[in-house]
Amino acid sequence: MTFKPRYVSIAVITLACITPVLVLVLLSLSQSWVYPKVIPGRLSVSQWREAFRQNTGIANSLYITLLLAAAVAVISTTSGFICSKWIAYHKHKKRLLLLAYLPFVLSPVILAVCLKFYFIKLNLAGTFVGVLLAQLVIAFPYSTIFFTGFWNRQMLQYEQLVKTLGGSQGYAFKMVIVPAAKPLLLICFFQCFLIAWFEYGLTSVIGYGKVPTLTIKVYQFVTEANIYYAALSCCLLVLPPILLLWINKRIIFRQVK
Amino acid sequence: MDKRWKIASIIGLGWFAALPLVLSIGYALLYSLGVIGALNKGFTLLHWQKLFTESAVFGSFAFSAYIAVVTIVVAVALSLTIALQYHRHLQRGFFSSVIFLPMAFPALVSAFFFFHALSKSGLLSRLAYKAGIVNSIEAFADLVNDQWGIGIIAAHLFICFPFFVMLFVNRIKSERVGAYLSLAKSLGATHWQALKKVAIPLLIKKTLPNILLYFIFMFGSYEIPLLLGRSSPEMVSVLAVRKLQKFNLYHIPQGYAVAVLYTVFTLGLLIIILRSQKLDYDL
Repeated sequence: MTFKPRYVSIAVITLACITPVLVLVLLSLSQSWVYPKVIPGRLSVSQWREAFRQNTGIANSLYITLLLAAAVAVISTTSGFICSKWIAYHKHKKRLLLLAYLPFVLSPVILAVCLKFYFIKLNLAGTFVGVLLAQLVIAFPYSTIFFTGFWNRQMLQYEQLVKTLGGSQGYAFKMVIVPAAKPLLLICFFQCFLIAWFEYGLTSVIGYGKVPTLTIKVYQFVTEANIYYAALSCCLLVLPPILLLWINKRIIFRQVK
Repeated sequence: MDKRWKIASIIGLGWFAALPLVLSIGYALLYSLGVIGALNKGFTLLHWQKLFTESAVFGSFAFSAYIAVVTIVVAVALSLTIALQYHRHLQRGFFSSVIFLPMAFPALVSAFFFFHALSKSGLLSRLAYKAGIVNSIEAFADLVNDQWGIGIIAAHLFICFPFFVMLFVNRIKSERVGAYLSLAKSLGATHWQALKKVAIPLLIKKTLPNILLYFIFMFGSYEIPLLLGRSSPEMVSVLAVRKLQKFNLYHIPQGYAVAVLYTVFTLGLLIIILRSQKLDYDL
């Protein structure tokens, strides 16, 4: 039996990508992982049941994270789509786009510690709305940059054609622009959702730990040395993006350049 | 109606993009210069002088740059190899789905996994024990919280290499690298020469803005070094946050000075990147 080096390499890369998911799932199902056992012992789903029944806060964190990520995704995708149109056709497009790049200059956590003062003064620190606004500082410019490429000459001509044929701007937007942008809107929604879903530093500083998203929960369990609940929270963080990636792989693959 | 949308757009962009940066840097700069802040007594350069005499700050910047450079060099080399060798396998099938799994990992989860994979009692140590490579838990090398940042690099590498694979595979298609390779070979180049002289320089040149932007992102990384790093040297974000959230209030101005220094560095780098390239970069 002969092995082609190409297939051995593919098998190694596949194993490297799958192992973390398997380890997290096994740890979340386990109740002990004593050295030098390679596979965690006493595997059962009871931990998952307990996590949602007992007062662990995991279920609550899941709902908060879902709500936060969905709100960030909806607001930033919608506003970024509208804002990007204005920027794309503006004579100072390059300068305005530079503005949109500014939030990416700073690490989110450094941005958060510097902005914390203003959030405290506005009574937004430690609140859901405060964390939502803070995350929009990252997600909204991202969405604006994302859609700038969509507003090309062809889109402008479509819009002008509808107007020439008697349609209003609202009609052109609803019947031509939005259907044409549908795949991009979907991708942007998922990407903004993931930005909020993955966020830790900014949420921990602005939220003061009072907005317990799943990432905050993971860090809390890690510092408490509760690796089994930490792994369970990690699984909850990783599985929805895997599902989203699987659904959107082909579209995302075509868009990222 | 159209004018109202335009005004709303500029306000939105200013409010969520420019204003937070101006406000945060303004506040940090004024605090570091002693103009505002609970224990500050007026304008002073003392906090900046202290910062420049403290070797930890320069060590922190150097360590962050080291982590970012090593991670990106390894990630680019690995991704280029995968993209050039397996770009057909990456179009469809099981492999094309599996290779992008790490993109579903938040930095914190990647750090958590690598802690349990590379620590002395981790998965790799257990496998080494079973294979007879080490005979006790202490005999296994320090791969997390170590001075070379091996754990930090591994965790970053895991989450960033699929991004580069995706980038290179798309560029291979859009730049018609296959056609250039065939042309080079038809002119007498070997496969390796065609890769070295044509494909790799072309792909690196076309993706350089993305690579440099990833450098900025990695330079300010927080979650991974927080879990896998050690107290000295620290990465810049960890150092700044530690100084700002300490109970000793006298360290806060220095923390803000680190934040200002970091912003100036990354802003300068961003301007260089954007000036040297077209600004129609697509996220």
